Amino acid sequence: MQHIRYYLAFYLAKLAKWALKMLKRDATYFPGKIAVTLCPDFIGRIEKPETIICVTGTNGKTTVCNMINDILEDNQVETLNNRLGSNINAGIASSLIEGATLRGKQRKKIAVFEVDERSSKKIYPYMKPNYILCTNLFRDSIKRNAHTEFIASILNEAIPKETKMILNGDDLITANLAPNNPRVYFGIDRLDTDTKEAQNIVRDIIVCPKCNTKLEYDYVRYNHIGKAHCPNCDFASPNIDYQITNLDLESKKMTVKEKKEETVYPCISNNIINIYNTLAAIAVLRELGIEKEKLQQSIAKLKVVETRFSEETIEGIKVMMHLAKGQNPIACSRVFDYVKKEPGKKAVILLLDDLHEAVNSSENVTWLYDTDFEFLKDETICQIVVGGARYLDDKVRLLMAGIEEKKLLCMREEKEVAEKVELENIETIFILHDLYAFDLAKKVKERVRQRIVEDAQKKGEMQHEN
Amino acid sequence: MKIEVLFPEFCNLYGDLANMKYLQKCLPEAEFIETAFDQEPVFVKEEVNLIYLGPMTETMQERAISKLKNYRKRLQEVIDQNTVMLLTGNSLEIFGNYIEKENGEKIEGLGIFPIHAKRDMMHRWNDMVLGKMKQQEDIEIVGFKNQFTQSYGENTENPFVLVEKGTGLCKESKLEGIQQNNCIATYVLGPILIINPLFTKYILSKMGVENPRLAFETEVMEAYEKRLEEFKRIL
Repeated sequence: MQHIRYYLAFYLAKLAKWALKMLKRDATYFPGKIAVTLCPDFIGRIEKPETIICVTGTNGKTTVCNMINDILEDNQVETLNNRLGSNINAGIASSLIEGATLRGKQRKKIAVFEVDERSSKKIYPYMKPNYILCTNLFRDSIKRNAHTEFIASILNEAIPKETKMILNGDDLITANLAPNNPRVYFGIDRLDTDTKEAQNIVRDIIVCPKCNTKLEYDYVRYNHIGKAHCPNCDFASPNIDYQITNLDLESKKMTVKEKKEETVYPCISNNIINIYNTLAAIAVLRELGIEKEKLQQSIAKLKVVETRFSEETIEGIKVMMHLAKGQNPIACSRVFDYVKKEPGKKAVILLLDDLHEAVNSSENVTWLYDTDFEFLKDETICQIVVGGARYLDDKVRLLMAGIEEKKLLCMREEKEVAEKVELENIETIFILHDLYAFDLAKKVKERVRQRIVEDAQKKGEMQHEN
Repeated sequence: MKIEVLFPEFCNLYGDLANMKYLQKCLPEAEFIETAFDQEPVFVKEEVNLIYLGPMTETMQERAISKLKNYRKRLQEVIDQNTVMLLTGNSLEIFGNYIEKENGEKIEGLGIFPIHAKRDMMHRWNDMVLGKMKQQEDIEIVGFKNQFTQSYGENTENPFVLVEKGTGLCKESKLEGIQQNNCIATYVLGPILIINPLFTKYILSKMGVENPRLAFETEVMEAYEKRLEEFKRIL
């Protein structure tokens, strides 16, 4: 009976996939949804690739998955992945259905799946990954994720005991996941920018999980990222297996120490988040046995996808679009810190609202007060233009952060921000947008581009007349 | 004016400490005491004008109960003396009779409020609340609730909010939170004082502030009125 249910689910899902493709519709979720609804242990029953890598964590999992897939593909290794689809059980099932022949045999030998932390319980009991990489664990959506202790408990209950963990050793919450599993750690050695005291509102591991003694931080990078130890017991940040020992942002190189041997890799971004993401990808790929030289060559070709980050100079003004995921305090805080540290005079456009909730609901604003808007209080930031349904809440938050009212322009209509952003004496315009506001941000950028070009033409004409 | 924030290093899950930052801006002269978990609370030996406790993880709830049990009598005394207390999110449950886990195990609470909570970690309860304060019905309260628990018991005489839209202590209730004298316990969490300026004025006046004035009053009122309008429209 169970076999019949599985085959029924498999072939119906295949049919649905085919039909959706014929209709040119997205087929990365629904076929899998059919399969897991008809056969709840579908993921357990379908044949799977020989090697499975799962990437999870609060921030960076999409980027890390993209990097792993791009590097493997650059080395002629085809992967089964869910990069275009959902990261919950239905998405994984859809990918497995896509990768299987009509006889149910998998065509590819390696799978790289992005996995939503909360879906772990619906995935790992049926699929035992060879590797699970966890990028980090931070506060995330208040509605779904509650707090890091809750998410860590879900992962600990679901992760198969045989799976090798690849963990961020600079994150003491992540580093202690699945404590009895085989593991390696990646991390970045002390940086000049690290501090002794936390600069952020949120720090989610304060006391030793073994004895409740207050942890002593040797240094803090951001939030609970850093190096710490318990003064009362043996709990401490782990020894790192893949460690960046030198970060040369000027020459865009990073040195990674692995088993006492140092290798210089290209550094594709000056943003600490993407440096961690690249290092995480290196750790996985080295565990898979990809040679260092091949990795060096492939990393040099990597680009962070446009939906996450893009940069363009228009008539001398740099316009940077950067994902600032709403309801995700640490992701936004990192971006705000990045904006602050970029050189030159800046204007910042904020499009942080959930556009769906803006129409149908009234978005929960608690996250605004876990987010370090205080980073935007900087003399190099000349103007902040806010657009969206929560513009009044954002204004209060920015005032609470100590930002002068004269620097703020807050408005309901998102598209108006492009008209209001200052161009005079501005070297960089940042457009910081929520994940689902990417198309809107692109339109805003387009209008900003037009204004910059028009402005440059006017100035050119005036110079010509004079 | 003395304000005590209990265990801010832990009880700060959803932007809640912003309430105290906001009060600091409203009361620049006030003394804010942040009592760490390994310290004795100031209210034990001194009079304070406000005691604040925010939401925390489930593990921390158990530790907070163990800690505050040592001061249960004193807590009841300060409530009886009309000291202003604000307990937000699941800190409300600490003051109840018990918290029941999914496996039936009961964590004994302080037993100050005649309520108990039931935990269900696999079902997150997200809600928005709109209603009027029971003790001052001209003040409308708006807020967000995000929790793994529902509470049951007696709050018919002394709810914090008479709920018009949304739910109260549990899904079936329209009575939100508890107000015992000036001790207000509510599942509403996050920056409750920033998004409820009229309630903040109420709290300030109960603390003894004459003609309370709010920081960024124009802006917070504007945001409050917009949210009121939205909640009335969508809930």
